[in-house]
Amino acid sequence: MTDTWTTLEVESAQLCATDVMAITLVDPGGEPLPGWAPGAHIDVDLGAGFVRQYSLCGDPGDTGRWRIAVLRERAGRGGSERVHSLVRAGVKLPVRGPRNHFPLVDADRYLFIAGGIGITPILPMVRRVAAQGRPWTLRYGGRCRGAMAFVDELRAVPGGDLDVVPEDERGLLDLRAVLGSPTERTAIFCCGPERLIAAVEREAAHWPAGSLHRERFSAALVDTGSGGGAFDVVLQRSGLRLTVPEYDSLLEVIESAGIDVESSCRAGICGTCLVRVCAGEPDHRDDVLSDDERARGDVVLPCVSRARGQVLVLDL
Amino acid sequence: MVDVRKVRGGGGLDPIRAEVDELLDSVVESTAKATEAFFASYDENPDPARLAAWLAPRCWREIDYVFLLNEEIARYGMRFERRHITLLAKQSFQEAEHYDMVGRAIESLGGTVPTSVPPEAEPWSKFLWECLDRHPLAAIAAWNLSETSASGSFEPTFRGAERHGLDEVMRIYKRIETDEKFHVGLGLQMLSTYAEDDEDRAEILRAMRGMRDIAWKTFTPESVDAARA
Repeated sequence: MTDTWTTLEVESAQLCATDVMAITLVDPGGEPLPGWAPGAHIDVDLGAGFVRQYSLCGDPGDTGRWRIAVLRERAGRGGSERVHSLVRAGVKLPVRGPRNHFPLVDADRYLFIAGGIGITPILPMVRRVAAQGRPWTLRYGGRCRGAMAFVDELRAVPGGDLDVVPEDERGLLDLRAVLGSPTERTAIFCCGPERLIAAVEREAAHWPAGSLHRERFSAALVDTGSGGGAFDVVLQRSGLRLTVPEYDSLLEVIESAGIDVESSCRAGICGTCLVRVCAGEPDHRDDVLSDDERARGDVVLPCVSRARGQVLVLDL
Repeated sequence: MVDVRKVRGGGGLDPIRAEVDELLDSVVESTAKATEAFFASYDENPDPARLAAWLAPRCWREIDYVFLLNEEIARYGMRFERRHITLLAKQSFQEAEHYDMVGRAIESLGGTVPTSVPPEAEPWSKFLWECLDRHPLAAIAAWNLSETSASGSFEPTFRGAERHGLDEVMRIYKRIETDEKFHVGLGLQMLSTYAEDDEDRAEILRAMRGMRDIAWKTFTPESVDAARA
């Protein structure tokens, strides 16, 4: 765990695709930077309270510089806007890391699926796997060709099976085609927007357990049951209909009506408060239901989860 | 039924997942066997003082977890997400409740609630605290394996308690069983979230291997008899 902040200097900051800025960072004194492995990210303090995580997407063998790439998200919370408007060559940035929550695992072959800026952790993985002589496949989707970073670098990686899929030319990635037939000892690595990861989780549900490795741009939605709009819950056996306000948890509303539900963590980890769903679609925010259980939608953990529609009917 | 061993987190344990699973399975099995053996011996000699002595190291574990979790937060908490600090604190509170509950069970059997490390629990406690000194994730790995070991004792405990009409022991351990699912899931989620490199993973495996060889021993009838000798 690399936990101390250090200040690095921006060596270069250049657009490498529409709205994507590639930034290389070096030690101001020319000292070598800590080593890292594909999948690693660093924390970057952008000032004014903005600390953001960016995947390292350069060459792990180059201890002289790190490279990150930042997509300008106009509807974001302001971090990427600061990068695009303030970061220039010569600027000093406090950084921490690298850390790796998305390590490459050993496998006979690799299937990479990237959406948009999700290509950043995938690029060094592809290079590493190609250098090891392992078979690899990459399906890389993006809004349009001009907005897809590092396509030329990917085309230069030897071997493998690369398909670049701009949505405006070819539509969305055909995940069913690529994930339809599970293969033994194949590791799937996916990074991209939440809707891509959710789709990959669905389509890869029949693959051997542990095949799929994914990295989300933002933390998983474990929000201790708040936010996401109000909805009604019907407790079928008790004959009660209750409103769950936007910032109250489903479990607390049920308990407030005098209905006991055994619980322990109240954070979506232990599964103790599991309740059967009779009707309606749960908005799963727990950390423990399997992909299958989530997809079936017949159980829910009311301590953190909510409803996708207006009404959820529970077996209580 | 939910399997907390499959809790979502990061990919930090992926390279060692098979060995972690093997270690956890192994200690569950050892502890289940040790607990079965204790209650078989208790069937032959249902002396409440023996059961109280068997519960004493269990009880100490609960309060030692309280001390350890708070120290983990104090030393390393700022490296973790805020929600994990909250959940460690919640686990600490539950462990304190368990100390109180198991303590009451011991008193109901005529025993004395431990207020310092019982000799038979010393290797367990010493190893746990050594892990805390070594690495931020080592103590989490050690208590996670220890908590998982306890899950192997629940079913034999329930069966033994039922045979002897020990309703209070049964009720207490039903509650503890529920909370320990949370603790096991939390530990694994933190390990998989914060383990970043091979050094972290080596410390996790070292802690789990060490605790695997210790955690089940105080569940055996021999441990109880040695403690009472």
